[in-house]
Amino acid sequence: MSPTPLGKPVAVRGLRKIYGGVVAALDGIDLDIAPGSFCTLLGASGSGKTTLLKALAGFETADEGAILVDGRDIGQVPVAKRNIGMVFQNYALFPHLTVRRNVAFGLEMRGIGRAEISRRVDAALALVGLDAHGDRLPRELSGGQQQRVALARALVIEPDILLMDEPLGALDKNLRQAIQIQLRDLHRRIAATTVYVTHDQEEALFLSDTIALMDRGRVVQVGSPEDLYFRPANRFVAAFLGECNFVRVPDGEEIGLRPEKTLIGARAEAAEIRLDGILGSAVFTGTGYRVTATVAGRELTALTANDDPVAGLAPGSAVVVGFHPAHAMRFADAARP
Amino acid sequence: MTITDGLRPLPRPSWRRHAGWIGIAPLAVLLVIAFAIPVGSLLRLSFGEGDFTLEHFARIVTVPLYRSVLLTTLTISATTTLLCVVMSYPVAYLMATVGPRMRALLIVVVLLPFWTSSLVRTTAWIVILQGNGILNRLLMGVGLTSEPVAFVYNLSGVLIGMTHVLMPFVVLPLYAALRGLDLSTVQAAEGLGAGPTTVFFRIVVPLTAPGAVAGATIVFMNALGFYITPALMGGPAQTMISQMIADNVGRQLDWSFAAALSTVLLGATLVLFVLFQRVFGLDRLFSGGGGGSKSGEPFRLTSRGRTAGGLFGAVMGLAVAVFLIAPILVVFPMSLGSSPFLAFPPSDLSLRWYVSFFENSKWVGALTRSLQVAAVTVAGAVVLGTAAAIGLDRIGQHWRRTIETAFVLPMIVPVIILAVGLYYLFAPVGLVASIWGLAIGHTVLAAPYVFITVRAALKGFDPNLELAALGLGAPWHTMARRILVPVILPGILAGSVFAFITSFDDVILALFLTNIRTRTLPKLMYEGVAHEIDPTIIAAAGLIILVTVALLALDLVLTRKRP
Ligand SMILES: Nc1ncnc2c1ncn2[C@@H]1O[C@H](COP(=O)(O)OP(=O)(O)O)[C@@H](O)[C@H]1O
Ligand SMILES: [Mg+2]
Repeated sequence: MSPTPLGKPVAVRGLRKIYGGVVAALDGIDLDIAPGSFCTLLGASGSGKTTLLKALAGFETADEGAILVDGRDIGQVPVAKRNIGMVFQNYALFPHLTVRRNVAFGLEMRGIGRAEISRRVDAALALVGLDAHGDRLPRELSGGQQQRVALARALVIEPDILLMDEPLGALDKNLRQAIQIQLRDLHRRIAATTVYVTHDQEEALFLSDTIALMDRGRVVQVGSPEDLYFRPANRFVAAFLGECNFVRVPDGEEIGLRPEKTLIGARAEAAEIRLDGILGSAVFTGTGYRVTATVAGRELTALTANDDPVAGLAPGSAVVVGFHPAHAMRFADAARP
Repeated sequence: MTITDGLRPLPRPSWRRHAGWIGIAPLAVLLVIAFAIPVGSLLRLSFGEGDFTLEHFARIVTVPLYRSVLLTTLTISATTTLLCVVMSYPVAYLMATVGPRMRALLIVVVLLPFWTSSLVRTTAWIVILQGNGILNRLLMGVGLTSEPVAFVYNLSGVLIGMTHVLMPFVVLPLYAALRGLDLSTVQAAEGLGAGPTTVFFRIVVPLTAPGAVAGATIVFMNALGFYITPALMGGPAQTMISQMIADNVGRQLDWSFAAALSTVLLGATLVLFVLFQRVFGLDRLFSGGGGGSKSGEPFRLTSRGRTAGGLFGAVMGLAVAVFLIAPILVVFPMSLGSSPFLAFPPSDLSLRWYVSFFENSKWVGALTRSLQVAAVTVAGAVVLGTAAAIGLDRIGQHWRRTIETAFVLPMIVPVIILAVGLYYLFAPVGLVASIWGLAIGHTVLAAPYVFITVRAALKGFDPNLELAALGLGAPWHTMARRILVPVILPGILAGSVFAFITSFDDVILALFLTNIRTRTLPKLMYEGVAHEIDPTIIAAAGLIILVTVALLALDLVLTRKRP
């Protein structure tokens, strides 16, 4: 595989797609993806991730807006000429062709010589660790192996953009984690501009340079995993990524507070902002306790160390809940009374 | 079923242990007497009327004329098969990529030739294709040719006629295979840089090949035994083996040689049938059957619309659809003209030729006889077919496959062989001079249809319902009336329609089993078409179309109402 970065910058401008005159699958998408970066479209099922990916690939046309690759509008470029590598959710391997022929397909379409094809297919199969399986048919491989064939097939053409639609969705949890690590290493090595779709926030946090969080056909926030986790633009983002307590502070503003930054009992005494609450339950999780408390009618969750004395208190006791203002996440659109 | 859970196993009365065989026996007896014996006797004749000899078979391969008939039969069948497959792809593609209404319309268009009487089709094609026919007048009108092109009474005529009627056997399994194709497989190929042609030949064709091959096998098997189409639309050079059989019985009176030809034809057909059954399974023959892997979205058109290649496919698909529907679209309006010369479109509307049809005792007599024979056939086929289907579920597992295969054989064996065999059997006992011989022959052909449709309906019948009803104390006949019959009624109705059409449209059996006083409508038409097509024949064709369409509509309405 070539060591130079393959990626090109991608820009999406005002993309809109309406199905059957009613369902706005894409409701004005604007998104910039840096060359060679790993961008994840994260969102619940039905939020429009696949539709955006298919528009990028050219399988669906948008009703409005433009997609620019390297500054060039690719709206009129047919699928076959876009030089985009795609890994489908069900892999979409050609069932009648061997692994080698699957991987070679894109190169054959480009009229590359046989020796060159053979060399590049070998390299691609080695990259995904399938050198020994070239002569098998897809159905003779496990799910994880099929997934890697699909990846090799998409990468071998040295695409301008690599698109992946929930590629790990069909695999079990252990395999997913193993492949996530491989994917991340692979991306570091080849640096193709990658657009990755998932509804799994942990996967998104683990893999991405940039996450675009989608909801009902819109991009709600774009940023690094840290941006989205520590500086969510609104309640929706805060609640989607990780757990979040919503607290109304004394000045009336609503802020977000991560459970690991929520202090309770003795440790809250030193906190700058303190609220009175009633202890709910304390559940031992090994590394600590997961403690709940009710403050002003809302239930909050706190994660504490496993030697925290709060666990010894009886449920229903009065406790202090506190936090440091620096840990409070303020939302631009938070309503003030 | 929870109702039966608490009940002890029912003690089976001894007669019920054999109940299955009681249902199966009547159809089995009919098929032995009017199918196995006549076909068997004919086959035995091929080895000589006295001592055993293979001389008749030797003649088939040594006499150049007969060798060339065999070769013609194979060539025509193979070409027809190829044409069917090539023309089916665009139609199946079109069906897979249009809206549900258009798809339903296309299915009707594909099936209509199959349901239209062979004589109506043939008549219509001749009217369209003959020297001063519609197509030639059109071509000469726009100046594409100055001389009429010979489309009919030659190879092209036979191929057009046979492809037209045999195409549904390929289109339907191919459509199912296309729907079974995963859309993302096609998109993956496109994404990797494949254009429409490459996608078609390297992805679509290999993945739909099983469906196409299944259809092609059936087409080839059927084509081998074709009789009416080559006889009416071909010339002497297109003589196929069935015509040679008929000729040896009717004119040469060489029964042994006709029998040897029949043995060859039957052998070839059965080999193909067994191959088909081995590879695809018998169910495929009746259901169409889909492609294999299912996981993604079925192949369809996305919002991107058609590519240039897709557009080409769709246009070709439409052209083939026009080809399929053209004969019916032409012949029916034509029957409503008043001119004594066949004109399309008719210059005026009149029922003149229908009136002339009903004023002519020859035509009315033939129509009456056709209806009588059809009535007897429907009654016989429904009773025998239904009883056999119900009986089949009540006999031992290992018998079922054998019996099922035996019961569908009359649908597989070329009709000409049954016709000649029955003629051999019936002529000496005078059954040819009455409608009964023909009705028996039609029942042999039609009962398997009823058997299959009722069996299909029975698949939706939960045998626990029967046990529950009997367990609650209902006598068997009450159970049958209240529970069994309502469930299988749609199957019986569909089977009756099949049976009626089988009888009403048949020419081949009628050619052999009726005489000038007992001839049916299709036979009378055949004699007319072979001589010269006059407007009354067109009116008869219009009438048959009306009856067929009305029946199919009735069937649709009756089966729609039920869940
Ligand atoms: N072909 C289609 N026809 C009609 N509606 C569609 C089609 N594809 C997607 N949709 C609708 O568009 C919305 C977004 O779908 P999708 O992009 O598949 O979401 P995601 O991939 O995020 O789960 C959903 O409401 C879905 O029902
Ligand atoms: Mg999706």
